[in-house]
Amino acid sequence: MRNSAQNRRTRHAAVVGGAVATALLLAACSGGDPEPGTADGGSTADAAGGDGTVTVWHYFSAENQVQLMDDYAAKFEEAHDGVTVENVYVPYDQMNSKVISAAGQQTGPDVVVFNGAEWSTLALAGALAPMEEPWEGFADADQFPDSVIHGMDDHVYAVQGYVNLLGLWYNADILAEIGVEPPTSIDELEAAMAAAVDAGYQGITLSGLPQSQGEWQAYPWLTSQGFDYSDLDEQALTDGFAMARGWVEDGYLSQEATTWDQTVPFQEFTSGDVAFAANGNWQMGTAEAEADFEYGVVPLPVGESGKVYLGGEGQSIGAFSDDPDLAWQYLTETYYDPEGQLLAVDNVGSIPSRLDTSQEAEVTDNSLLEPFATTLAQNGANYPDPIIPPENVAKLQTAMGQAWSAALGGQRSPEDAAADVIAQIQALIG
Amino acid sequence: MSHSAGPVNTIVKILLTLMYGVPLLWILLTSFKSSSDVFAADATFVFRPVVTSYVEALDGALVSALQQSVVIAVGTTALTLAIAIPAGYGLARTRGWAVSVGLGLLIVLQMLPQTANVIPLFQIFGSWGLLDSTLGVVIADSALLVPFATILLRPFFRAVPPQLEEAAAIDGASVLRSFFFVVLPVARNGVATTGTLVFLLAWGEFLYAVNFFLSPGTYPLSALLAQQVSAFGINWPGLMALAVLSSIPVLLVYALTYRLLRDGLTVGAVK
Amino acid sequence: MSTPAPAAARAAAAAPPQRRPRHQSRYLFLLPALVFLALFSLFPLVQLLRMSLSDVTASTLNSSWLFVGLENFQEGLASGQTGDALVRTAVFVLVVTVIGMVGGFAGAVALRTRGRWSNVLLAVMVFAWALPPVVNGSVWKFLLADAGLLNVVARAVGLTDTALPFLYDQHWALGAVAFVNSWAVIPFNALVFRAALLNIEPEVFEAAALDGAGRWQEVRHIMVPSVRPTMLVLLVLTIVYGFRSFDFIYVMTYGGPGTATNTLPFLGYLQAFSQFNFGLGASTSVVAVLVVLVLAVLYARSIRKEEKE
Repeated sequence: MRNSAQNRRTRHAAVVGGAVATALLLAACSGGDPEPGTADGGSTADAAGGDGTVTVWHYFSAENQVQLMDDYAAKFEEAHDGVTVENVYVPYDQMNSKVISAAGQQTGPDVVVFNGAEWSTLALAGALAPMEEPWEGFADADQFPDSVIHGMDDHVYAVQGYVNLLGLWYNADILAEIGVEPPTSIDELEAAMAAAVDAGYQGITLSGLPQSQGEWQAYPWLTSQGFDYSDLDEQALTDGFAMARGWVEDGYLSQEATTWDQTVPFQEFTSGDVAFAANGNWQMGTAEAEADFEYGVVPLPVGESGKVYLGGEGQSIGAFSDDPDLAWQYLTETYYDPEGQLLAVDNVGSIPSRLDTSQEAEVTDNSLLEPFATTLAQNGANYPDPIIPPENVAKLQTAMGQAWSAALGGQRSPEDAAADVIAQIQALIG
Repeated sequence: MSHSAGPVNTIVKILLTLMYGVPLLWILLTSFKSSSDVFAADATFVFRPVVTSYVEALDGALVSALQQSVVIAVGTTALTLAIAIPAGYGLARTRGWAVSVGLGLLIVLQMLPQTANVIPLFQIFGSWGLLDSTLGVVIADSALLVPFATILLRPFFRAVPPQLEEAAAIDGASVLRSFFFVVLPVARNGVATTGTLVFLLAWGEFLYAVNFFLSPGTYPLSALLAQQVSAFGINWPGLMALAVLSSIPVLLVYALTYRLLRDGLTVGAVK
Repeated sequence: MSTPAPAAARAAAAAPPQRRPRHQSRYLFLLPALVFLALFSLFPLVQLLRMSLSDVTASTLNSSWLFVGLENFQEGLASGQTGDALVRTAVFVLVVTVIGMVGGFAGAVALRTRGRWSNVLLAVMVFAWALPPVVNGSVWKFLLADAGLLNVVARAVGLTDTALPFLYDQHWALGAVAFVNSWAVIPFNALVFRAALLNIEPEVFEAAALDGAGRWQEVRHIMVPSVRPTMLVLLVLTIVYGFRSFDFIYVMTYGGPGTATNTLPFLGYLQAFSQFNFGLGASTSVVAVLVVLVLAVLYARSIRKEEKE
């Protein structure tokens, strides 16, 4: 036994040795090559404090999203000799706790790409570096609308390079078969779903997972019935839950939605038996690759009171980045750069957050992006709702996600679910 | 056992074959599918097999993850056995309140939800410099498995006739000497069986690995697998291909210790 | 991390060679485990207890914690979450234990004969047991879906017209996840039971056959008594396994629909790692530990009884 312990130790030493050698090599490369960064921004790469590597943590695994990360890395490396961009994948569910626990050990990535709505969780844990200084010095800062700049107490903690939001995807083949037009109101949607079900198809897919993804998907439907976090109307919330539960009972929506994240329902949609899917613009690549039918998108038909979250990933500099200047430079040349934002449009179908870029032909001429742009202008809402105190965002999302899931799944009646979650929200909003 | 298998036996066997055969078959089939075939109902069994997932899975990351898994599993097995063997023997040969307290304690430790241990261990490792190191994960996994291994080992040592040791004592052997040269050889099957189980469990453990390695570049296979499920997409064929690849070593270990596992697990047999 | 065994050896050697009760010196064998577990299991447990009595959030995790007494426990109980989770955990453990033990025993009886089928089946079962829960959970989530194999078969044989709501009806979901957990534990239990059955002398069966015993009588009067000592340990291990199960719930339902599969470990996870209320999460885990304590006392007492006999 002592023998195998010995083996393990030597093997461990070998692994560590290898890692050290690699690190030295990398250091030698970047150190021995003092190429002054001559980026378009005009600033100079200050590699003195760091190792010449930009470590970027992200939670993307879909092919087109990973491609975008690779493109960004290539773009930045090309402009800066001796600089490496290392994209590191962390699963969505683990991202926050991983960033927070790394910060507790005074370490972490140079750049974090995370669910923009959760910036407060990370910022409050001291995992994000305040960015207001470079942000104020950023010449293009005025191109970004306030809704994509996140921060508190005069600090800027995250800025989004693009916006993601939900729309109503439809299967044009099915709609043609049952003879309906893409819906513009909830009534039309319900009539279309009824017709689709009669014709042997499923009505709609969406996510009813009892966590933040469920809350994000529930919000448009709940607000369409008049619900609002700043004016807690129990009846409106009950109506919202009852509407969705009604879809389940009428067979438009599978109760299975309570086990779906946002990926599975879209896979169900692309397999061709579903008339509608409430899903995001980021699915454009998946739709193109997987769907062998005609499809299109219209704004979610949630009426005038209905609101759609403007989500998307926030980008931040890690609080313990070993080279925050280089990290900032990476952000300005990728996520915050006109060319970089167009890469996101091409790869993922994201809506650029820069005002100038959002007017480019690539965006305005894309018929699939157009409905999302319309929604953004007419029904767009800050995500999360600003009325929620930053420290309670995660709790509120879980509570609402669970209530949504419970109502969809029939665990609670719409009335009970609404009464329950309103009480919780009141405690959280104060 | 001269009986021929009765009808009830056959039914149970058919049921078990379905229960365990179907999921494994499904894993294997999916790993050869293209992702568009995964959700298509008509392609459940008939589809055009592709090896893209395997080609994609087989890269440098897999090799380093494999190496990491081997280091962690072997290290954990060695450390766990080094601690659990004497403990199992000690508990088998002592009587009275110490045994009750000791066993009760082991059960408590064994029963703690792993999620409850992650936070405090993270802090402790942080202050002791064990974070982000293979050693830290080995220690955490061992802390998780020592109670299990001790509970499994104790009956094996109890099954060693005390007369053997008494005879050794009369010949003048010390306790330690008779433990190493009399007891251990008799209980070697139990040790090997327990070691195999510990190895397999350490191989599959991912919660500690995911949390105590600060950067995903150093993950073992199990953690790599756990990462395949994400908010923006599950690559089913990829996940299953990785599962198949990462279970090949498990298969090897099983083939080597098959006989032991099949016949050796006489847990709690006080004979 | 030098192996602590030499320390024990030295201590043992230093003791007077004779006249020392051998039982007492054997306590030294417990020393390495004692030290190791005190450092890496008990100490974290103390930290957990401290955390459960403090207000710990993401922002204060890495600084000093504010002592709040029993506030976290009160919060958990008042919201009803802890109580609900306790009940669900109890149901969950019951299902896992019953199916796991009965299935394991039935499997052992069916597989105790040697033959190609038994050998291959045993191998397949152990292999499934050794696969990571992430993989097994994902596969079962797929098989139990509306369009999954189980529902397809159920419809084909006319068992049901509509899909069975395995994972999205509040009662089915808890049962389904518990079933998959028992599925994962049956192979291990079957192996252990089987080893105990193989220890029965063939003469016992021959004698029974001469007395005209049927198969059920064989099972009842020979096999069940012979696995009884095994059963106790295995029962505890199975209960433990069900009690701390987390991975399958995480992969298959994420606690849903609603909160229908929020058991104690999963609730603790949600509170700590999704809501970042570490204090509340720790208090849920401490409740779990208290339940465990009761079980452990019961186990230790029955062990003592067994040894006195």
